Amino acid sequence: MVFLLLAPGGCTTTEPPRFRLNTEGRDPARISRPQQDAILGALEGLFGTPDEPKVPPGIELPLEPLKMAAGPVGSAEDGSLWGLYRKYCAACHGISGDGAGPRAALFDPYPRDFRHGVYKYTSTAGGAKPVRTDLQRTLHCGIPGTAMPSFDRLSDREIVALVQYVVYLSIRGETELFLLQLVLDEDEYPVDKAKAAREGALPAAASWVAAEKMVVQPPPPPALDTAEQLSTSLARGRKLFATKDAKCVQCHGPAGKGDGEQSELYDDWNKRKRGVTPQQTQELARLFRLPLEQLRPRNFTEGIFHGGARPIDIYRRIHVGIKGTPMPAAGPAPGSSGALKPEDIWHLVSFVRSLGPGGGR
Amino acid sequence: MFQELNRRQFVAQTAAAACSLTAALGCPAVVRAADTKWGDLVGRLVYDGTAPPRQKLKVDKDLDCCGKFDIRDESLMVGSDGGLMSVFIYLRTVKVEICPELAAAAPKRVTLDNRDCIFQPHCMAIWYDRQEFYIVNSDPVAQNVAFTPLGDTPANIVLPVGGDASHQFGRKQNLPVPIACNYHPWESAYILPRDNPYFDLSQADGTFRIAKVPLGMLEFQAWHERVGYLDAPQWPKGRFTVTVRAGINDLGTLKLNPLLLVKK
Repeated sequence: MVFLLLAPGGCTTTEPPRFRLNTEGRDPARISRPQQDAILGALEGLFGTPDEPKVPPGIELPLEPLKMAAGPVGSAEDGSLWGLYRKYCAACHGISGDGAGPRAALFDPYPRDFRHGVYKYTSTAGGAKPVRTDLQRTLHCGIPGTAMPSFDRLSDREIVALVQYVVYLSIRGETELFLLQLVLDEDEYPVDKAKAAREGALPAAASWVAAEKMVVQPPPPPALDTAEQLSTSLARGRKLFATKDAKCVQCHGPAGKGDGEQSELYDDWNKRKRGVTPQQTQELARLFRLPLEQLRPRNFTEGIFHGGARPIDIYRRIHVGIKGTPMPAAGPAPGSSGALKPEDIWHLVSFVRSLGPGGGR
Repeated sequence: MFQELNRRQFVAQTAAAACSLTAALGCPAVVRAADTKWGDLVGRLVYDGTAPPRQKLKVDKDLDCCGKFDIRDESLMVGSDGGLMSVFIYLRTVKVEICPELAAAAPKRVTLDNRDCIFQPHCMAIWYDRQEFYIVNSDPVAQNVAFTPLGDTPANIVLPVGGDASHQFGRKQNLPVPIACNYHPWESAYILPRDNPYFDLSQADGTFRIAKVPLGMLEFQAWHERVGYLDAPQWPKGRFTVTVRAGINDLGTLKLNPLLLVKK
């Protein structure tokens, strides 16, 4: 018996970590070995491994920051740290950026699954990707009210490296989604690597570049220096909050306590885990890494805002919405005049902030 | 003096001249040379059984507006004579020649209307680089239109009362994209963006028609909301190949066993 306990293998892992196939919503038993190898093989050819990242040709993603973020934790001669992602992020976000790291199951809300290329707290309209500064802001400020801490103490160089690595995992993730449809739904494998790059990776990368043009530039906020100016803005905001066109009350409740009539809300990462009946939901559970988690509309009286509590942060949440959630974009975007004018959004911001403890001051 | 014509232009011009000549003479028009380049694909899909009654959906928001409608599940629509409605039939073969007449003939817009607290139509397809995806709210309450096409920009648009919006797809999809409304969870629709006009949705009588398809061997795909690819014995994984000839290519009536349409 003791011999079995001392069986060869030892205490150290010699296998480097590998990216895990994204089987969310699919039965892994139905994925054949050749199919799995086709997808993972194509991805490795294009994007490398967690230790050795690669960037497909034609994609503007500098390799140096990625090398700083990738790989095992270590340090260079000048004292700078390597393996930043594994040190700071992987425990929650997972090696593959799947939001299902070892700690993830403890949290509500779950850590972000980067592989869909959808991010909640952005400054870009029209469903576009975030810009780099959005992700940097998230790292600097953390996400108050959740388990995502602030990484403000990291150097700018380290934050840039982590942001670039998140973008890398995201582009890889979207390429993987494309390949999953190609190989599993369309039955097209072995995979033509050039096709995977051309139709999977390049459009994903292009959408990150296109986002730079979609940053919302709000008008200057109204002056709130006098009591009269403030009360006018608050009154307008209160009226807009209750208006049928904006529909804030439906989720956030008449007093902004997050107790609106819409009680069963889910973000896009969890929506797929829901069946039509409770029994169906139970059956679906085995196809997903983490159990179903509900979304709670913000209770403004708490004064805690995940995406930041500055007026500009709240402005952005209203104008461009919170992507991946039922919180829609109320401001104008290409092709849509929106439900609210930008000037009115500022008044709504005043009102929402005023609900917090101490009147939002 | 003479314009250099390629063979196709020469034949077309001759045929056009012959057509107008015979029309002037009161003779029946000859088949235009252009028609021998394209074929029409037609067929009919029938639900071979009694359709189950459509379930009432849970309408629990904006009841003062939406409560008065009898809103029922639209995922299986069978006509009075058994016709299976809203099956997407679309061309799978890539890089095909598109009949030039179709660009002019295609409606400028494919419209999604929020009306009577449901999306109308429930299923639609769009030639995304030629047609405009136009979304309008005809209801007296604010509506939301949210969808996430694979590898393309997602949308989550608020439409105030009487509001409208336009969405541009960036690429074709191989599977219809589900559309949801975050304000009214019972609402759903599907849109399939394609890069050619060779698609159709079966009508209430189960018939479908894809006009002016290029000649030759082509592969088509059938998709239904309940099951995804319409996997039938005659159409494994919902796919079928047709050798398209000039004129009408009638696939006939395909009777589908109700078990094929049971939600997985």
